[in-house]
Amino acid sequence: MLRIENLHVGYGEAAAISDVSITLGKGELVCIIGPNSAGKTTLVNAIARLLPVRAGKIIIDGQEATRLTPQQLCDLGVAIIPEGRRLFTSMSVEENLDIGCYHAKARANRMQSLARIYDMFPVLSERRRQIAGTLSGGQQQMVAIARALMAQPKLLLIDEPSLGLAPVIIKQVFETISAIHTQGVSILLIEQNATKALAISQRAYVLDCGAMIAEGTPAELRDRSEINAAYFGHGH
Amino acid sequence: MISATLLGQSLLSGIFSGCFYAMLGLGMTLSWRYLKVINLAHFAFVLIAAYLTYQLVGKSGLHPLVVAVLLIPLFFALGIAQQALIDYYKVNEFASVIVTFGMAIITEAALQWFWSADYLKLESHYLRGSTQIGTLFLPIGEAVMALIAVVMCAAVWAALRYTWLGKALRAGLDNPQIAASFGVPNRQLSYLVAGVSGATAAIGGIFVALLFTLAPSQIFAWLGVVFAAALLGGLGSPIGVLAAGLLLGVSEALTMAVIAPAWAPVVPFTLLMVILLIWPERV
Repeated sequence: MLRIENLHVGYGEAAAISDVSITLGKGELVCIIGPNSAGKTTLVNAIARLLPVRAGKIIIDGQEATRLTPQQLCDLGVAIIPEGRRLFTSMSVEENLDIGCYHAKARANRMQSLARIYDMFPVLSERRRQIAGTLSGGQQQMVAIARALMAQPKLLLIDEPSLGLAPVIIKQVFETISAIHTQGVSILLIEQNATKALAISQRAYVLDCGAMIAEGTPAELRDRSEINAAYFGHGH
Repeated sequence: MISATLLGQSLLSGIFSGCFYAMLGLGMTLSWRYLKVINLAHFAFVLIAAYLTYQLVGKSGLHPLVVAVLLIPLFFALGIAQQALIDYYKVNEFASVIVTFGMAIITEAALQWFWSADYLKLESHYLRGSTQIGTLFLPIGEAVMALIAVVMCAAVWAALRYTWLGKALRAGLDNPQIAASFGVPNRQLSYLVAGVSGATAAIGGIFVALLFTLAPSQIFAWLGVVFAAALLGGLGSPIGVLAAGLLLGVSEALTMAVIAPAWAPVVPFTLLMVILLIWPERV
């Protein structure tokens, strides 16, 4: 579904991401964990085509996507739940969802998608007319998830979904991501909260200082003491 | 004490002025908000359309509706061409004031070259005369203009609020990158706004030719008050510019009737300043 080969991304002289390679199979949920400022968001923004790539390749569903515009990426069935949610804050909840299905293919199924999403998040149905910027953080995250689902993505990029949310909401968000994965969507999850992310992922990569330092199944990573110590804070 | 008839008549003329300001301000408020272009050349477009109407209706004898059918697409295209230039040279919001002011000055010179600096009046029988309602006179031309201005503002409002393109435009304003990620074509939409703005200038120009005396310097005649209407109405708001236009038009007309005509130009900017002072988040 997604293959990244020797990707380099950088601002100016400094390389924010160097020589990163990732694979994500169809229907897989893969997470990228790592400390703050490890380059996780840079990586996901490069995949989402919001940042230019310096070198390397991004291949999505067998198609070269390295130089596409965000709009062309949308044609390939990729949707993003960005860090900090980045809703259309002056628009209503339902208008945010409408933009989610702006693409012609998704728009054709608007009614079914809306019904499914309001079923999944009843609170969004109650607040469909409310301006998105006035919702609570947790509800805004639901809108961000729902907006991406309206696009009926094949590949979903999720960046730091737990950021700034209360623990009870975080639990709910991860359950939702897991449920979306069960419905067959391939997911690349970027998350600082390694414990939570590994609990729902099939495979994981560890990113630090812009480089990939480890990969494996959650169990394998937990068994590696140096990673355990550095990223889970569980000691040895 | 002034009579009820005079008061009513000046109220009516204030409403007509207000609708006219809204007609000119609609394109301006849209491009200011959605394109980040403070487009003073909008008034140049209006006057070019007015002179073309003068020529085509007055000299070539075409019906104003035929002229509208010709000018609206032409000015839609001109609006896009102007935006393409502004895009190409990456003109920012503040520089756009200078650049489009320059365009307006060049247009003024060009109009003088072709039509001289003399006052010209389109002599035609279209939209002439008036009907009487009670003691008030209702001029047909102004009434038609006002009606079209209201319809234009309402149509743009509805398009922004309810259509896919309108929603996409607002989303692009909130967050262009994420909107693009969901397939919103920001660039094409910006050209659509520029085109619509140009088309409104054509309609405004046709009414300028039918209702006013033309001179190239008229480019700058309505700039101040329309600027004020766009700001007061809240940038990008078609209903806002209509409401603000009416407020300014009516208060100008009442000032003329109750105090003295010479005081009327003071009104829009005094209102603008007062409202900005007590309600700064309006803009």
